[in-house]
Amino acid sequence: MMTLLGISPQLLFGQLLIGLINGVFYAMMSLGVAIIFGMLRIGNFVHGAQYMLGAFGAWYLLHLPDLFPGLGLPSLGYWWALALVPFAVGLIGAGMERLFIRRVYDLEHAYGLLLTVGLAMVIEGLFNVGYGAAGQQYNIPDSLKGGVNLGFMFMPYYRLWVIVAGIAVCIATWYTIERTKLGAYLRAATENPDLVRAFGINVPRMLMLTYAFGVGLAGLAGVMAAPIYQVSPQMGQSIIITIFAVVVIGGMGSISGAIFTGLMLGMIEGLTKVFWPQASTTVIFVIMAIVLVFRPAGLFGKETVAAHAADMSTARPDSILENGKLWLVILGVGGAILPFLVYPVFGMKMLCLALFACAYNLIFGYVGLLAFGHAAFYGSSAYIAAYTAASWGFPTEIAILSGVAVATVIGALFGWLAIRRQGLYFAMITLALAQVVYFYAIQAPWTHGEDGIQSVPRGYLLGVIDLSDNMNMYYFVLAIFLIGFAAIYRIVRSPFGQVLKSIRENEPRAISLGYSTERFKLLAFTLSAMLAGLAGGTKAIVFQIASLADVYFMTSTDALLMTLIGGVGTLLGPVVGAVIVVTMQKEFATLGSWVIVVQGTAFVLCVLFLRKGVVGTLEDWLAARAERRRIAAGGEPAAIARGAH
Amino acid sequence: MSAPDNNQADNIIEARGLTKRFHGFAAVSEVDLDVRRHAIHALIGPNGAGKTTFFNLITKVLQPTEGTIRFNGRDITAESPAAVARRGIVRSFQISAIFPRMTVAENVRIALQRPVGTSFHFWRPESSLDTLNGRVDELLDAVGLLSLRDQTAAGLPYGRKRALELATTLALEPELLLLDEPTSGLGGEDVDRIADLIRKVSANRTILMVEHNLSVVSKLANTITVLARGKVLAEGTYAQISTDQRVIEAYIGGEE
Repeated sequence: MMTLLGISPQLLFGQLLIGLINGVFYAMMSLGVAIIFGMLRIGNFVHGAQYMLGAFGAWYLLHLPDLFPGLGLPSLGYWWALALVPFAVGLIGAGMERLFIRRVYDLEHAYGLLLTVGLAMVIEGLFNVGYGAAGQQYNIPDSLKGGVNLGFMFMPYYRLWVIVAGIAVCIATWYTIERTKLGAYLRAATENPDLVRAFGINVPRMLMLTYAFGVGLAGLAGVMAAPIYQVSPQMGQSIIITIFAVVVIGGMGSISGAIFTGLMLGMIEGLTKVFWPQASTTVIFVIMAIVLVFRPAGLFGKETVAAHAADMSTARPDSILENGKLWLVILGVGGAILPFLVYPVFGMKMLCLALFACAYNLIFGYVGLLAFGHAAFYGSSAYIAAYTAASWGFPTEIAILSGVAVATVIGALFGWLAIRRQGLYFAMITLALAQVVYFYAIQAPWTHGEDGIQSVPRGYLLGVIDLSDNMNMYYFVLAIFLIGFAAIYRIVRSPFGQVLKSIRENEPRAISLGYSTERFKLLAFTLSAMLAGLAGGTKAIVFQIASLADVYFMTSTDALLMTLIGGVGTLLGPVVGAVIVVTMQKEFATLGSWVIVVQGTAFVLCVLFLRKGVVGTLEDWLAARAERRRIAAGGEPAAIARGAH
Repeated sequence: MSAPDNNQADNIIEARGLTKRFHGFAAVSEVDLDVRRHAIHALIGPNGAGKTTFFNLITKVLQPTEGTIRFNGRDITAESPAAVARRGIVRSFQISAIFPRMTVAENVRIALQRPVGTSFHFWRPESSLDTLNGRVDELLDAVGLLSLRDQTAAGLPYGRKRALELATTLALEPELLLLDEPTSGLGGEDVDRIADLIRKVSANRTILMVEHNLSVVSKLANTITVLARGKVLAEGTYAQISTDQRVIEAYIGGEE
């Protein structure tokens, strides 16, 4: 038998075929994401869930008689699904656009991503409640069973069909957008909606249809995927992060680029499975990192427009809520009393997550960069602290510091890769990079895969104080939290913090004053990673475990949710948010799988109705009250007083 | 390139063959421009003449497609915007470039802070910057904003925002000050105030400005360059320019 580099052609071509099929799905999905991103400026995180809806739609149609017994409904097969489901999923997409997504068009782009993250959690959570983690079987339609022997390999008809049909759909979409009048309107509406509106075109409807179309593509991909992959609630979650990476690699503004990149990366992934199987899960993310270094705009992307940082902070610097010294004392006293009111372990969980959220707020709130991969820093520090304490017998404080050091290095590296891009790109890049850490943690022997590193000894603080005592441990964690909190306050109110503030407020102006803003952002990002590492390492010692959950992207989502609920860019917001989220998780713990649905709903509600968060809203109320009092005391309304000279 | 000779030493900026194309469209095309030291040099021209693009090229916000820019004889064509700013070329913007939620004093202090060299010091308290307060107040006094120093910048009326921007820019002690339409959007009284201010700060300094208001240009500028369709149409004093037939056709007669 002929072999190539010691690899049989069957294996090589077999993996290339699988790669090509994955590539077709990547292409169809990233096409939809790119269209929605390009036309609506929405980073459609819910795209994976919509793809999953497509697969479940096909499965439902097949099982209509079982689902609605007594109605005499027929079982509709694959071809029916192919015709009906994309429209149904597109319709659901239109509904989502109407109800939710439309409301965030005029807001900072971060909100669009947060909203779709919430929607994805709700949809995937609901399916998880209904079907659990187990996948449903969907058989290949009879008409496409069997295959053809190509001599060097066996080619199943269904796979051939997926390749041909998928590529045809991609080309048709490309043609519609780039070569037809409808596409021209679409592209024009992206550039200048007001002008297109003046032509008598209903722009809101057009945007809704665009979104529905992109979602329909995901639905179609889902139907086509159903016979190949297992139909499961998780199928979309794993693919969406890869899709984001594909979009980053391909670059914005090029439809054909998205298609080509998707196909190419699928093949590369297939080849990697042949030559270096362990790397196949991360190869796309590594390619993304390389592309970012050499072509920051992506392979087919056009010159990037300098986006502004998202200024979402709601704090008033002179407010009592921003007085760090006062609150440090209050939190210290409150924290000291807490273990007498609640179970100390619960209190420690709050403190660890509050520190994590504060660290995250440093980059998201105070610099305005939507980082979406802080789980990488939190989790890697947790693993290192756990490993050094358990296997190398490091003293507790040294173990935590080792974790912090590793998190800082990873933070500096990821920051260096991501910092040149802003807005949604920054989110996608940090998310994808964090995924590399996650996949590493799954595969590396020393992290013990699904089990994690367990039975980590808490040890003795400075070799004296026994930390296996919960109260001792609690006060140690409280001290760490207060140090972290004070450090962040100092960073924000330092000469460096002033520059960060100016970057957030008006980056082009900060550059024109001579500040190399990227270096400031990079330092802030690294500090944020370092403090997130401090939280993660401490957590590993407290709970005596480091596991995959710590590096999973849902942990990044938690940081975001806590910061958002509490109030982005406020001193106390992340702390308040952590208390709310941790309490919520505890209260809803009995609901099991519903927790994700509840958290997703909280996300959506926050984005729609509580964008300023608890602290931001309180801040507004305080400001309004102060203003009313001033006017009642005979002062002029502020706006006019400022205008007079 | 050869070392600068004595003739060139009098020029703070020397742009040669400067071209910027956007997807084939040449916004600025083969522009040669010298800016003499300590001059107030105005760039005028009809809308779309390439004035702002030219500004963006000088401050390296845009990278030229072709051509070179020399500042004090040194080639700065390949430098970053922040590096050019540190060399002493500081610009203002068409829309007022302030930091809206910082106070008036903080707006100026952020510019003074950079030369202090503690901008990366995240462990120092903000009060370490208090030593700059004297200079902040001097600058604010110069532009008539001292009484508003603790106000939030966002609350200032438009004309005051431009004054604040100027104070921030001056804080950097720029050798070359680039002003992009400093009087646009201002009412009569404010225009005069800003014009006076520009004259006041022009001592020992070079100013290159884009300006639509020809009466301001006539009062302030020693040299005027007229741009049209990305090219230099004419250059000279106001008297020379205002009688130039080509300029009248392309600009004064044509559009306004």
